[in-house]
Amino acid sequence: MRYEVQVGERTVQLEVAPDGSTLVDDRVTALSVRALGPDAWLVAMGGVSHEVHLLARDPLRLWVDGTEVLATVTDERALAARSAGGSARSGRHELHAPMPGLLKAVHVREGDEVERGAPLVTLEAMKMENELRSPVAGRVTRVAAAAGTKVDGGALLIVLAQG
Amino acid sequence: MGLRKVLVANRGEIAVRVIRTCRELGIATVAVYSEADEGAPHVRLADEAYPIGPAAPAESYLRSDRLIAVAERTACDSVHPGYGFLSENADFAEAVAAAGLTFVGPPASVQRALGEKTSARRLAKAAGVPIAEGTLEPVSDEAAGREIARRIGFPLLLKPAGGGGGKGMRIVRSADELASAWRGATGEATTAFGAPALLIERYLAGARHVEMQLIADEHGSVVWLGERDCSIQRRHQKLVEETPGPSVDDALRSRLGDAAVKLARAAGYVNAGTCEFLVAPDGGFVFLEVNTRLQVEHPVTELVTGLDLVALQFRVAAGESLPFTQESVRRNGAAIECRITAEDAFAGFVPAGGRLGLVRLPAGAGIRVDGGIESGMTVPTEYDPLLAKVVAWGPTRAEALGRMRRALRETVIAGVMTTLPFHQHVLSDPEFVAGRYDTSYVDARWAARRADLDGTALTAAAMAAVVASRTRPPRSAAPDGRAWVRIAREEALR
Repeated sequence: MRYEVQVGERTVQLEVAPDGSTLVDDRVTALSVRALGPDAWLVAMGGVSHEVHLLARDPLRLWVDGTEVLATVTDERALAARSAGGSARSGRHELHAPMPGLLKAVHVREGDEVERGAPLVTLEAMKMENELRSPVAGRVTRVAAAAGTKVDGGALLIVLAQG
Repeated sequence: MGLRKVLVANRGEIAVRVIRTCRELGIATVAVYSEADEGAPHVRLADEAYPIGPAAPAESYLRSDRLIAVAERTACDSVHPGYGFLSENADFAEAVAAAGLTFVGPPASVQRALGEKTSARRLAKAAGVPIAEGTLEPVSDEAAGREIARRIGFPLLLKPAGGGGGKGMRIVRSADELASAWRGATGEATTAFGAPALLIERYLAGARHVEMQLIADEHGSVVWLGERDCSIQRRHQKLVEETPGPSVDDALRSRLGDAAVKLARAAGYVNAGTCEFLVAPDGGFVFLEVNTRLQVEHPVTELVTGLDLVALQFRVAAGESLPFTQESVRRNGAAIECRITAEDAFAGFVPAGGRLGLVRLPAGAGIRVDGGIESGMTVPTEYDPLLAKVVAWGPTRAEALGRMRRALRETVIAGVMTTLPFHQHVLSDPEFVAGRYDTSYVDARWAARRADLDGTALTAAAMAAVVASRTRPPRSAAPDGRAWVRIAREEALR
């Protein structure tokens, strides 16, 4: 299920895959969830455990590691409904480097057809290798960075056409 | 001849607080409860508990006759009023005494002399305690009030003469504002204290609210136990209190203590009480009012003095002498209290009742929690929104603040809006940490916005998505029987 989450001034795209992995702004994050109670979870993300409590549903108020968070969550269905009502989707998706790092490998070439969640590149950052996966099923229309190069945070890596 | 059985004429955290000390002292306790408080923590903690009427305070906790009837029926020898409700009602103190019961608090004569604000101001003036320029008699007539206001000048304060707690208080900044402020203040004064009479006094901008804790026995001993800075307020009601006051040095402390003792002696004070002052940036101070009862924030004084004020109240009420003198009182370290109330700090601190989900209160070194809540209980909207008081002690102010920050992070109260985010803001605000704040703090420094989440927005958003993926909208909620499937799946994902 895909979600668009707004916290404070920031809007973050997330996708929670059936296998538990999560795409956070197109970056794959290993994520495990353990229920602590009816409205409480222990979520391990990137080696750090976060304790999360649901304080209230409407508006969504969470307790995350001791801080109260107010969030607006829009799910796939609502997003689809919203985009159907608005302008048509462009079908173009860009994969950007979520942080500065070394591009260890590029797993696709221009013209490749990829499934949603397919690994596109491996980015080494903060001494960890992060596999960045495809946010959509589609065709690779451009590879914007070469393996073995250093990339800045936010650098364009891959362009996809949703298909 | 100590007291053996007490009726605790209150509810919530203060009833719990009083019952705890009674149990330590071997005094049997009788709790009372309204229909809204059936099964509340104070009810279960007491040795006996009796219903006294519907939720509305006027039909339960303010029913002097019912309270005294329960005390007599259960063979109590004393009544502890807590704070709020009837704690500063001289007629109640008198009725308790007339029923042959010991009132654990100042006698009716003291309550009368100090409860009416202009009377307290006259007493203070006569005792040589500085007071703010203003009226020495209650004013009910608006035209007369207008003339007095012109003489004093603006800004000024209108306060109900009949009582305290910040109710009905208005700051008036110009003559144009007077008419509407007068209407508002007299209206609230009539509702809260039964009389429209007001006190008019000069308003001191940039002042701190500093109060002095007192305890006095029947044998002429009056001792001050140190100050509390209570400048962090909303609606003239306190949110954070600490001792020592960051702006109070030894010399000012002695002057405040001496002034409080002088006034207490002039009033013939017995039992615990608090003398409130406004302290100007230059160290000058004026008398504000005396609270003739235990204060909500008394624990900070207990933590630095090592004294149990409730235990002292019972000893003094039983006619015993204070077991210490002014010279033998020791104050050690620093303490701070945060009042966790059911209020939306992001929407002007409007009270927010509701059913509590998970409640997890902090613990650990240097932390004390006085609370009257637990998971699953409903926070009644009829009463004060105070849920719990988190109090931290440390050898220094910096260490006490560090413990408080840690304790606030441990605290979870789900189901209602609380002042927790506000307290976290205060405890991490460099101005507060540096001790630079006054009564304008909430207006000046609380911008009513969410904490800056730049560093943690991503994590927070991810957690929100996780929660969204794990919770269903209430209307399509699956039966609980399926919960194990979800948990098993989550286990498998680890």
